[in-house]
Amino acid sequence: MSKIIEVNKLMKVFGKNEVLKDISESVDKGQVICVIGPSGSGKSTFLRCLNLLEVPTSGNVLFEGKDLTSLNEKDLNQLREKMGMVFQGFNLFPNMNVIENIKLAPIKVKNMSDTEADKIASNLLEKVGLADKAVQYPESLSGGQKQRVAIARALAMDPEVLLFDEPTSALDPEMVGEVLKVMKTLASDGMTMVVVTHEMGFAREVADQIWFMDQGYIQEKGRPEDVFDHPTSERAQDFLSKIL
Amino acid sequence: MQINKKWVTGILIALLMLLINVGHVNAASDTSLKDVKDKGTLVLGTSPDYPPYEFQTTVNGNDKIVGFDISIARKIAKDIGVKLVIKKMDFDSLLVGLETHKIDMVISGMNPSDDRKKSIDFSDVYYNGKQMMLVNKADKDKYKKLNDFSGLSIGAQTGSLQYSMSKEQINNVDIKGLAKVTDLILALKSGKVTGVAMEEPTAKAYAQNDSSLAVVDPGFVSAADARGAAVGFAKKSDTLVAAANKSIKEIKDKDLINKTYLPEASNYLTKNTADNTMIHYWKYFAKGIGYTLLITAISVVVGVILGTLLALMRLGKNKIIKVIAVSYIEFVRGTPLMIQVMFVYFGIGMIVNVPALLAGIIAVSLNSGAYIAEVIRSGIGSIDDGQMEAARSLGLSQKETYKSVIIPQALKNIWPALGNEFITLIKESSIVSIIGVTDLIYQMKMVQSATYKGIAPIFVAMVLYFVLTFSLSKLLNYFEGKMKHV
Repeated sequence: MSKIIEVNKLMKVFGKNEVLKDISESVDKGQVICVIGPSGSGKSTFLRCLNLLEVPTSGNVLFEGKDLTSLNEKDLNQLREKMGMVFQGFNLFPNMNVIENIKLAPIKVKNMSDTEADKIASNLLEKVGLADKAVQYPESLSGGQKQRVAIARALAMDPEVLLFDEPTSALDPEMVGEVLKVMKTLASDGMTMVVVTHEMGFAREVADQIWFMDQGYIQEKGRPEDVFDHPTSERAQDFLSKIL
Repeated sequence: MQINKKWVTGILIALLMLLINVGHVNAASDTSLKDVKDKGTLVLGTSPDYPPYEFQTTVNGNDKIVGFDISIARKIAKDIGVKLVIKKMDFDSLLVGLETHKIDMVISGMNPSDDRKKSIDFSDVYYNGKQMMLVNKADKDKYKKLNDFSGLSIGAQTGSLQYSMSKEQINNVDIKGLAKVTDLILALKSGKVTGVAMEEPTAKAYAQNDSSLAVVDPGFVSAADARGAAVGFAKKSDTLVAAANKSIKEIKDKDLINKTYLPEASNYLTKNTADNTMIHYWKYFAKGIGYTLLITAISVVVGVILGTLLALMRLGKNKIIKVIAVSYIEFVRGTPLMIQVMFVYFGIGMIVNVPALLAGIIAVSLNSGAYIAEVIRSGIGSIDDGQMEAARSLGLSQKETYKSVIIPQALKNIWPALGNEFITLIKESSIVSIIGVTDLIYQMKMVQSATYKGIAPIFVAMVLYFVLTFSLSKLLNYFEGKMKHV
């Protein structure tokens, strides 16, 4: 399988705080990676370095062989559209209704016609089960619905990779399921995904690989059954014993 | 801050040098008469609130400035063979108007005092009015001599001859200086001052039109050279002064002022006072509202565009651009709007001839831009970082993100603050009246001098301003409601 994302000696420092210390990993096309670990271990920062929302202090991030850290603003924008991102806080645009949220990037970035974008957006809303909410404003949606719209919005750019930053952490428990269901469908459709999550059941079921992060390093990685059932590092054992 | 100061100093020095240079160019040899003949117009600056010298009246529904000064101006223009153009200005602004060549001459009951002679040239004296004191009729017999006013408050127009004469000739007197005769009359009638020093014809005109006032002759002693009124010109206008003197000689020889001009002016005065209810002057107020709204509307639009630009410059990464934006905002917020208006009209006016209305609009727009920039900056700051991240992760450029995502939301958040700024603008724009823009305040003063009523026009203007701001605030609320989603 071909590598779609490659990370070399990635470091990120905020002030004196070394959040990421020397991470070198890669993601294959079609792979689903779940990144787990305790709070403050650098999971989100790592994910945000992948599309350069955070600029790494040192090291490189390669996407389809191109080094993102050396790109100019314009080329970076072009690569970003291939890496969709779903945020913990949804970050829907409150000044637009649901379908406008989804259509914005295809129209502005891909110069798609309104009718074409409309068609894509409608299909995606159908896919996430929110066809009836097209003209509502984000304010009137539940958390689970918002997150599903956010996923549809990211999918509208037809990305190669989807990055999920704790997509269910801000949700009421009863809404977690509907979002995970959509994500499972995506995974089974062959979408490459990097998911930072606390949903261990989901991770175990869907992930091809689990990366366990702690203190700025990826401490342990492997197939879900290996990491979850037979963690080798002391830290992973400790973490898993607390949450499972 | 250090960088800011350097910038501001740099800009100031550059502007000063520009002004000094322009001054040099203008100080060339005397071509004043030729210049006037070449352009075919003689521009008169006057402050039409001084009947019967000059005042505003309505003839067949049109505003007109009349008075015997105006008749003299027409005579001078006619003798030179050019058209007369009348520019209304505050009395205080007339000298600056001459110095900056906004106007060619001043006829505004102005006394050729030594102080004034330092900055402008004068013709021969064309009229020798005595200085009188206007008092409330009830006090008529109490005040007969100058020193009857000792220890009391009297009023006089700021910068006028009466002001300096009162100061020199009355012992221990408190002089309240106001720019407008109409305001002085108001002060007299409300008991703030016991008398107002003014020229005989003006004092008589007021007494004639207001039965509660009376004229007394307290015996002012005029310095021989400073007696009466003369025509003012910019320095080094010898040829123009000579031309005016020729006309003035003829006026004196034929006694035109007493025989023709004064009776004509008095005629207008009686006409003026025939119906001095506020309703009769509705056109004055309507015109004032029109200009106030025009200035405000344009300034709001320009201010929002400029403000957005400045806010983005200030939020951007480029340090130099940031410093420019910060300097501009700090400088404009740190200087009074009044001075900015005068600077644009008189200062910039020396380089390019800017009409008063345009100068007013430019100054108010530039001013509101600075304030709106700060409002917009705070609005942009209030938008969650996640919005920018979400848009950027979709591949939108920074510019597009601002345009489609950040600014529309910021606008909604700052709408109340922006509305506040618009309402302030309606009121603040009144400052343009000092350069003669006929906004609501200016028109109010015109009605005051035309009707000899002080308070009624103020009340009408106050109500009108309130109606304007209240309607605007309702309109803004309506749009605020529309911006709410769901």
